[in-house]
Amino acid sequence: MDAIGAVLAKDLRLLWRQRTGWLSAFTFAAISVLTYAFAFDLVTDDVRPLLPGVLWVTFLFAGTIACSRSFSDEVEQGTFDALLLAPVPRTAIYFGKVLANCIALFSVEVAVMLLATILFNTPLLTVELALIAGVGTVGYVSLTTLLATLGARVQSREVLLPVLALPLLVPLLIAGVRATGAALDLPQGDAPWLMLLAVFTVWSALGGALLFPLAVER
Amino acid sequence: MTPNAAIEANNLTKKYGGSLVLDGVAFALPPGSKTALTGANGAGKSTLLHVLATLVSPTSGTATIAGYSITEALPALRGTIGMLTHSPMVYEELSPLENLRFFARLYGVPNPDARIEALLRAVGLWQRRDELTGLLSRGTHQRLAIARALVHTPSVLLLDEPETGLDSDGIAVLDALMLRAPHLTVLAATHLLARIDAWADSRLHLARGRVAAEASPVMVR
Repeated sequence: MDAIGAVLAKDLRLLWRQRTGWLSAFTFAAISVLTYAFAFDLVTDDVRPLLPGVLWVTFLFAGTIACSRSFSDEVEQGTFDALLLAPVPRTAIYFGKVLANCIALFSVEVAVMLLATILFNTPLLTVELALIAGVGTVGYVSLTTLLATLGARVQSREVLLPVLALPLLVPLLIAGVRATGAALDLPQGDAPWLMLLAVFTVWSALGGALLFPLAVER
Repeated sequence: MTPNAAIEANNLTKKYGGSLVLDGVAFALPPGSKTALTGANGAGKSTLLHVLATLVSPTSGTATIAGYSITEALPALRGTIGMLTHSPMVYEELSPLENLRFFARLYGVPNPDARIEALLRAVGLWQRRDELTGLLSRGTHQRLAIARALVHTPSVLLLDEPETGLDSDGIAVLDALMLRAPHLTVLAATHLLARIDAWADSRLHLARGRVAAEASPVMVR
């Protein structure tokens, strides 16, 4: 556990000092939401049915921008090898990085939900929506952190991550959008979307933990 | 198996695609020995060090470090190894103090503050401990890398061109803390052949992935 804490604390400190990755992600997210707000304003009075899609597409691409740097910076500075040399289970390194990315991405998501609340005049910063976003974020980050590891040593990694991640994230996106719609009192059928989102998240985290040691093998 | 060998390799082979980078490498180094690993570019020196450090898996063969197999008991094995390469493996956005605190925590170093202060003083970075590493010179990075590699008090050092970026004072630090440190077993890849006599008691020469020449007390089988 201390190894997870060490990696988490170090990554949060680096994220704060570097900032460019997460500021880029937030800037992208803010511009997206702003653009949607102006576009929908001309088309419809009731934007609520559109909001789940707006939020999750924004979360997805903002996260992709941010998570792609998770391991590539380590590889470029040679510190990835230093992490792998440490006498700790490699899953501890993985979970430390996943937690750091989750905290950072969730912060961006909360800011996006606050901005969307203002722009769309719909209360989006609720406990239920925060829970849905939080669960989805853990699943999303678990998968993208693993895939970022696979692509970290590849030159065209910025292209590789979305190509690998997006098809695998379709179930999470569907469950996330539907669960968000249900939280906004939109008709979504009887399926337990939040439960499905949680199942995907658990699968994603377990799969990431099991595959990470193999992904870093050379 | 050679009794009491600090580093022992048995028929180590590494292939990348169809290219044989290590070809049946076998040797044993006694504890406390200082061995220069020499050879032309592409001879397999870096690959051998990376295999011994468990960063690269061997295609076949075995090796032990301080009695631990490189394919088993990995966390225990890694705790005995200190590695220094031409890449300093330190975070540029952290200060030297923060870098060493992170690695000390990762290695579970007891009483880390005293250890870190002693190392930063030894490498001449105590006065600059709070500056961002990215703002320091290349040679200073390498001094910090020396401290990083020693923070957990390893018994075996695997060094890959450790002199990179160091000035004469830096090389003196490297010699004192690593290359001539008593009780440490050192295997160091180097191209500075003129300096080998200053620190090495034996030499292991690789050519095309094979051990080509050696000198006592290296025991080649």
